[in-house]
Parts: sequence; structure tokens; C-alpha cells
Amino acid sequence: MNRKSLIWLLLLCAVCIAPWLISANGYLSRVLTLLLLFAAMAQAWNIVGGLANQISLGHAAFFGLGAYTSTILLIRFGLSPWLGLAAAGVVAGLAGALLSLPTMRLKGHYFALATLAFGEVLRAVGNTWSSLTGGPSGISVPMASSGLAQMQFNSTRPYVYIMLAALLVTTAVYWKISSSRLGYALRAVKANVDSAEVIGIDTARTKMLAATISAGLMGACGVLYAQFNFFFDPESIFSLVGVSVRVALICIIGGIGTISGPIIGACFLLPLEELFNATLSSHGAGISQLAYGLILIAIILIEPRGLQALYARIALRFKS
Amino acid sequence: MAHKESRAIDAARRQALMGLGALGVSSAVPGFAWAQGKTVNVGVILPLSGANAQFGINSRQGIELVADEINAAGGLKGLGGAKINLVIADSTSAPATAATVAQRMIAENDCCAILGAFASALTLAISEVTERRNVPLITMSYSDLLTGRGFKNVFQVTAKGSVIGKAQFTFAADLLGGTAKVNKVAILYEDTAFGTSTATGLRAAAKAANVEIVLDEAYPLGITDVTPLINKLRAAKPQVIFPVSYLNDSLLIVRALRQQKISALIVGGSAGYVIPDFAKALGDYADGVLSICSANYDLDTVATERYRKRFKAFMVHEALEHAVSLDVLAQAINAAKSAKPEDITKMLHSMTFTEGWAKAMTNGIVKFDETGLNTYADPVMVQWQKGELATVWPEKYAKTKFVARQPG
Amino acid sequence: MALLQAIIDGLMLGGVYAVISIGLTLVFGVIGIVNFAQSQFLMVGMYVAYFAWAFLGLDPLLGSLLSFTLVFALGYAVQHSLIRKVLKAPEVAQIFLTVGILIVLENLALVAFGSEFKSVQTPYQNEAVEFFDLLISLPYAIAFGASVLAGLAVWWLLAKTWWGRSVRATAQDPMAARLMGIDPDRIYRLAFGLGVGLTAFGGAIILPYLTVSPSVGEQFGVLMFTVVVLGGLGNVLGAVVGGLAVGVIQSLSGLLLPLQLQNMVLFSVFILTLALRPEGLLRKSS
Repeated sequence: MNRKSLIWLLLLCAVCIAPWLISANGYLSRVLTLLLLFAAMAQAWNIVGGLANQISLGHAAFFGLGAYTSTILLIRFGLSPWLGLAAAGVVAGLAGALLSLPTMRLKGHYFALATLAFGEVLRAVGNTWSSLTGGPSGISVPMASSGLAQMQFNSTRPYVYIMLAALLVTTAVYWKISSSRLGYALRAVKANVDSAEVIGIDTARTKMLAATISAGLMGACGVLYAQFNFFFDPESIFSLVGVSVRVALICIIGGIGTISGPIIGACFLLPLEELFNATLSSHGAGISQLAYGLILIAIILIEPRGLQALYARIALRFKS
Repeated sequence: MAHKESRAIDAARRQALMGLGALGVSSAVPGFAWAQGKTVNVGVILPLSGANAQFGINSRQGIELVADEINAAGGLKGLGGAKINLVIADSTSAPATAATVAQRMIAENDCCAILGAFASALTLAISEVTERRNVPLITMSYSDLLTGRGFKNVFQVTAKGSVIGKAQFTFAADLLGGTAKVNKVAILYEDTAFGTSTATGLRAAAKAANVEIVLDEAYPLGITDVTPLINKLRAAKPQVIFPVSYLNDSLLIVRALRQQKISALIVGGSAGYVIPDFAKALGDYADGVLSICSANYDLDTVATERYRKRFKAFMVHEALEHAVSLDVLAQAINAAKSAKPEDITKMLHSMTFTEGWAKAMTNGIVKFDETGLNTYADPVMVQWQKGELATVWPEKYAKTKFVARQPG
Repeated sequence: MALLQAIIDGLMLGGVYAVISIGLTLVFGVIGIVNFAQSQFLMVGMYVAYFAWAFLGLDPLLGSLLSFTLVFALGYAVQHSLIRKVLKAPEVAQIFLTVGILIVLENLALVAFGSEFKSVQTPYQNEAVEFFDLLISLPYAIAFGASVLAGLAVWWLLAKTWWGRSVRATAQDPMAARLMGIDPDRIYRLAFGLGVGLTAFGGAIILPYLTVSPSVGEQFGVLMFTVVVLGGLGNVLGAVVGGLAVGVIQSLSGLLLPLQLQNMVLFSVFILTLALRPEGLLRKSS
């Protein structure tokens, strides 16, 4: 076992123990849960953003689709959230595949625009199709007794482990794709689409597969969020800045296209956001978001490849 | 290569450990001292920013008036004179944020109860949190869903939205001389929980009276240009218009009706149609406008004049209803001789409140049934008369007569 | 009749959408980036006009000139200090820089001005001219008139002046333009300034019939993008045609469908256009 793996193992142990060191229903518990969930979401985004270099600004669409799918199935048919998890993954994955069809040939900015619009479309649908989604007033996960079968708990602790599991799963998927034939194909497409075609890669199928997996994982995360928060509405679940930009930003800050990027990014960004919220929001609405935006701009100007690259640059400068 | 990698991993490790360290820093849970020494914390979550800020501020003022009165008179007698400490937080106008604010408030302050949050959409989101944490939530929001989910910890001092909507229609018909005189009506409503609930009542009442509904449209809450909506209205030619709006939309609608020279009778659905800012913004054009309301200050001027004296404006219904909320909470605490949430909830369900601010609600009584609804709350029809809101219907509550507004 | 009313309203609104969107398409055509923050400059322009009205008593029509000027300067500075730095960077940097600017501008307004909706009172605000059974809303008509004037001014600027020719030259081939003695960086600054300035101007002239708040930009975001995508990114004439089309589409869908679905139709048009004909409906480029 080399040094790298040892460090990650230690980290894993630390996260497993942490919930028992802090209050079960305290705010820190909540932050830890959301940190792990958003790291998982960012890892899902990393599959298209990092491996395929397709900057999606609409991943909230899949997140929200997943959340609504399982919650509606639970309310209407009493379907267990665990099965709802699978259903949400399928629905979101399908949406990802469907979206990749028309956006296949779009480059950079156009692709981002199209995904952004898709997210907005779903937000509008969520707001309008009230009979299905509850409309702008949002939807609530029905109260159930605390337990694993219902995926609902009175204390935050079990949620920490669920989100941790989600992070491990998405990271494993990323790793598997990255080191597989699909990963090879994606990297070829990222480098040069035409060359990739020339060497026999079915770029369309490659992109669609990545999109489907990424979307499906995102949808599953949506279910976990729904079961954790009990309540959500179209504005928050399909949010451009709150979800789409945030998961992309987490990935970028940590290092887009690296397996540890989403985790590092989440560890940096989420506590920072909470810090801003706790200290700045009492001074007025918008200050914490403003700080967030300024950080984003600073990161982009200083080192768009993320913290790992920034550290490497600084280290290099110190050496010479 | 390995060297570079381990450097990067060092960075990662440091980052992660720092992050975890920050998380591990004291997350001291406030001790379960529901009456820490001589104060009792009461949580107040209201929209203090955003489109509904004015309503939030009015509500907060109503609460502050009662809190100060109780503290000045010696505090909560049932707890040996403990003072009420209001913990006030801004819900913003986003339901998801309101829920997070509630989470934070419950986790960090031991509030014996929470009051709020004016807008039904916000209150619904907060109730999901309070119900799961078994903290009583006392509200004046209307949405039928609040009391329709079988929750045990939600208490609503006003009538239900659909009941208010029904009254909005039937009282208007009464004032016009009976439903036979009403031919075509239009229903416009903002699309969140408040508007939707009220519209349900309006719709059912109109259908039951066999009156033709020529327009039945929901509009997005943040609408900024109502011209297309009013265009549709103009084409439909209704006799009476029943809009259910908050403040910005109420102003936009009334102005647009003027611009398009539509002179049908306007019967508002409370909220934006009864707040002082409505009259301030519209001046003479507000005069004569009718609205249904869940309570009105002229039903108990002895109490509500105290508000006017302190805050220099009439006690609009949300201020009044929040004052009632805090007062029944205080009465429950005194009767239970405890500030523990579960004791308060039990008292709120079992007591009949006839003293203090409870007298300012219709019938002078507040009593919550097992769903948390105040069964004695009746809607009243009010009318703007020279900058004041006068209760004009039903007769048993009316303080003055309805004055038909001249067209134009 | 209601149909005709909707079409006329749509055309008048469309004129404004056109002016707002010309800025966006200009920025892409000349500089090559999609400015995700464009609608926030509209919000800034609206606020400038609002305060000009509140403190100086200026009607928003006059205030719109002030909006244009101030936001032009702002855009000039933003291009120089921020955008320029990512022109050669990977696309992800370009996208997220303007997204960051979007977040900063919206929340700066929130912190500075609060979230309440503010509106102006003008004498013509609630007036309408009756024409048989049609009602021509005066604020709509005036905004449309101002848009036409602005559109003509931009056309004249781009087609007839030396500066305009430099801009078009830089858009076509920055290298060649440099060889001709044009400084592309300077052109970029002026173009970005003009682009966001126009959008701000558009925001100011619609202030009489709308209300301003920090989040007003959100309503126009996808709308602007639909316009420029329909007309072809970089195609100024396309923005005009696209604007009018979007105005009419929006107005008709508001009439025929529930109000909340108005924007759904637009989004669908947007995605379909991107999918089927990303270069826009008009073929020629700027």
C-alpha cells in the first residue's frame, strides 16, 4: 500500500468516525452530509466535464429529475426510496442520453448554452406542471418512521454514511471509466474529435454513454438529497447557480479531470460557503453569494486548472 | 512523476484535514435548558427581504408589540416571570432557504416554538422541519395544505384558504344583491400555495352558484409585466374580478386594469390588497376596493390602537394575527407552567383562548382543532374607505356600510 | 382580435428584445465569447435609469442615454481587466469567468439596493391609445420607438463609420486587422462596451412598464440567447429578426397557453434551433 492510498484510507476513517464526535442533529453534521453529497455530484459531473471536456451548465436538470421521480413515485405508489433510487437513475440517465442527441455536435460555449437551457426548461416544467410536481410550492417527502427501509432518519448521522457511500460509488465509477476503453475514447474525443473518428472511435456513442452515466448518477444524488432535506421546490432543485454552477465549480476548483478534484473542491468550497453564510449573511442578503462569485472569478483568473495545479505551481516556484 | 503526485496528494491531505478540522471545531449543542435562567426563546422566521419584506416587517411589529407588553407586565407568570426573547431570522423569499433557516434556528437556539412565515409557501417548507423536530409552529398563512397533512405541531390562527376564497365570492355576491346579479367572473391568482388555495375556494363557490368563470389564470409570483394577462381579461369581459396577489402583483394588476380602462368590480384576496402600501401607492384609486380578509383591526380597536400608536399605521391583518399567535403561545406556556415544546403543543391543542389578543380574532375566541386549525376564525369582507380598512360584511361583524364605487 | 392585439404587442416587445440582444451577438461576433452575464448589464442599466429618475427626475428615456454611457464604461473596464485575460484560455475558463461576473453583479445589486421591486412613475405609464378595438400601450410603443432609433444608430455605426469597419474587420480576421494597423484589444474593449451598453439601454427604456430588482436579469437571460441563436450568433441583423420573432412567439404563447408556459415555448425554440440549425435561421454572417 503506497503513501497515496494510505492517506485516502486515513481520510476515509476520519470521515467514518467524525459523525460520532459531533452532535447528531447539529449544524456541522448537516454540513458534512452536504459536503459528501456535493462531492459525489461533482464527481458525476466530472465524467462529462473532466473526461470528455463537455462543460455542462445544466446538470441540475438531472438532479431535479431524480429527486422528483423518486418522491412522486413514493407519494403516488408508495414505492420505496431504494427502488426510487434505481428509477431516478434510469429516468435521469435517459434524459442525459436524450439531451446528448441534439447537442452532440455542439462545441464549447454552444454546448454550455444548450445544457443551461435544458436546466431552465425543467425548472419551468417543475413550476408549471403543478398536478405532478406541486408547482412552485414544492414537494415534500411524506413523513415516515425513522429507518433504513424508508431511507429517512431522525438524526443526521446515518445520512453521513449514505452520502459517503454515494461518493465512493461515483468515484469508483469515474475511476472505472477513466481506466477503461471508454475513458480512452473520451480522452481521444477531448483531444480532437476528427482525429478520434479517424482512428475508429464512435464519438457519438462515446459522448452519449458518458452523458447517460453522468446524468444517471446525478439523478441518484437527487434522490438522496430529497430524502435528506424532506422538501424541495423547482427553484432550489433546478437551480443554475445553486446546483449546476456549484458542482461544476467544485470540480474545477479541485482540479477538473482528476479523480480527487471533486473531493478537494468540496472540502474547500462547502466549509467556505458555510463560513460566509454564518458570518456574512447577517449583514444582509447577497453578501455570501457575492463573496462566492468573487472567489470564482479569482480562481479562474489565477489558476483555472484548480487548487492542485495551483499548489504545484507554487511548489515549483519555491523550489527554483 | 511520483514526486509530483505525492506533492499533490500532500496538498490534498492538507486540504482535507483542514476541512475536517474546521468541521470538528466545537459544535457545542446548546444545553436542553428550555428556559435558560430567566428567558424563553421564541423563534420568529419572516420574509424580511425580498418582495414580501413589507409583510414580514408588519408581522414582526405585531409580535414585538405583544412581546414588549408581556415583558413589561412582568413576563411569563407561569414560569415565574421569565422574559420572552425573540430570535428573529429572515426567511428570504425562497422556500428552500426558509427551511434551512428553520433547521439552523432549531439546531442553534433552543426555541420553545416558532412563529412565521407569512407566505404559505415559506410556512409549508418550515413546517416540514418543525414537524420532524416536534417544535410547535404557529402561523397565519392560509394554505389548506398546512392543516391538511395530519401534522401534529402546526397551528393556524386564521381560516383555511379555500374557506377564505369561498367567502371572497359569496360575500361579494351578497353585496351585489345576490348571485343572480352576478354573471361573469374572472379569477386571477399568484401560483404559490397561497393563491392556489384561495382560488380553489373561489372556483368551487362560483361553480356552485352556476356563475360563469370567464377567466381562471394562475400567474407566476414574480411577474413583472401583467399586460398579456390583462389583455386576456379584457377580451373575456368579466363583471367581477377576483385577484389573489401579494403586493407587487396587486399594484401591477390594478394599474394595468386602469390602463386598459377596465371598470369591473375588484374584490381582492387579502395580502397585497389590504396592506397600507397598497393605498399609499394607488392613492385615490385604492378607495372603494373590496377585499376579503382573515381579520381586521376594527373588530377590536382597544387592542389594535396600541399598535397604531407605536407604529403609526393601522394594524394590518398579518400584524394582528402574529400578535395573536404570540399571545396564545404565551398563554399556553403560562397554563402549562413549562416552556418545553411538547407541553406547549399539548396545551395549544386543548385550551380555548378567550383572553388577551385572542379577543381580536372573529368571535373573540381562538381554539385549535386536532388538525391545528382555529375553528372560530371567520373571514370578513373589508373595503378601503378614505385610507382605512372598514369591515363591511357579513352584518354580524360589519362596522360600516359598503359604499359602491363610482365607475372611472 | 385578441390575436391581432397579441401580435402587435409582440412586435413592440420584440423591438426591445432586438436592441437588448444586438449587444450579446456583437460581443460574440467580435470577441468570440458567449457573455453569460449579459442580462446582468441589463439590470445595471435599469438601476441607473431608476436612480436617474429618483434623484434627478429624469424620464427613463433620457436616463437610458445615461445608462448606455455608464455601462459602456463599465463594459470597457470589464473587458480590459477580466475578459482579456481569458481570451486565450481554455473554454471552461471563459465560460466560468462570465458566470462569475453574473453572480457578482446580481449580488452586488442585492447588497447595494436591496431586493425590493422598484418602479418609476411616468405620465405615460398607464396610458394606451385606442385604435378600433386594439389598445396600443404607450410605454410599449415608446420603448419600441427608442429601440428603432437605437437600432438605426448601431447600423449606421457599423456600416458607415471607420470604427464600424474596423470592428467588422477584427471580427473577420484579427491578425489581418492588426496588420492593417488596427489594435484588436482596443476594438475588443469598445465592442464589449458597446455590447453591454446597448443591453443596458434596452433595460432603461422598458423601466416604465416593468419593475427593477436585482433578479430582473434572470427573466431576460434565456430570452436574449434565444434571440441571438435564432438570428445566428454574431449576426446583428439576425438579432433584429430574432428579436421580433421572439417577441411575437412569446406574446402569442401567452395568449394561447397558460401564462406560466410562455417561456417554455421559447426554451423549446432555443434548444431546437441549437440542435437543428446552430448557425441560426439567417445564413449570412456579420
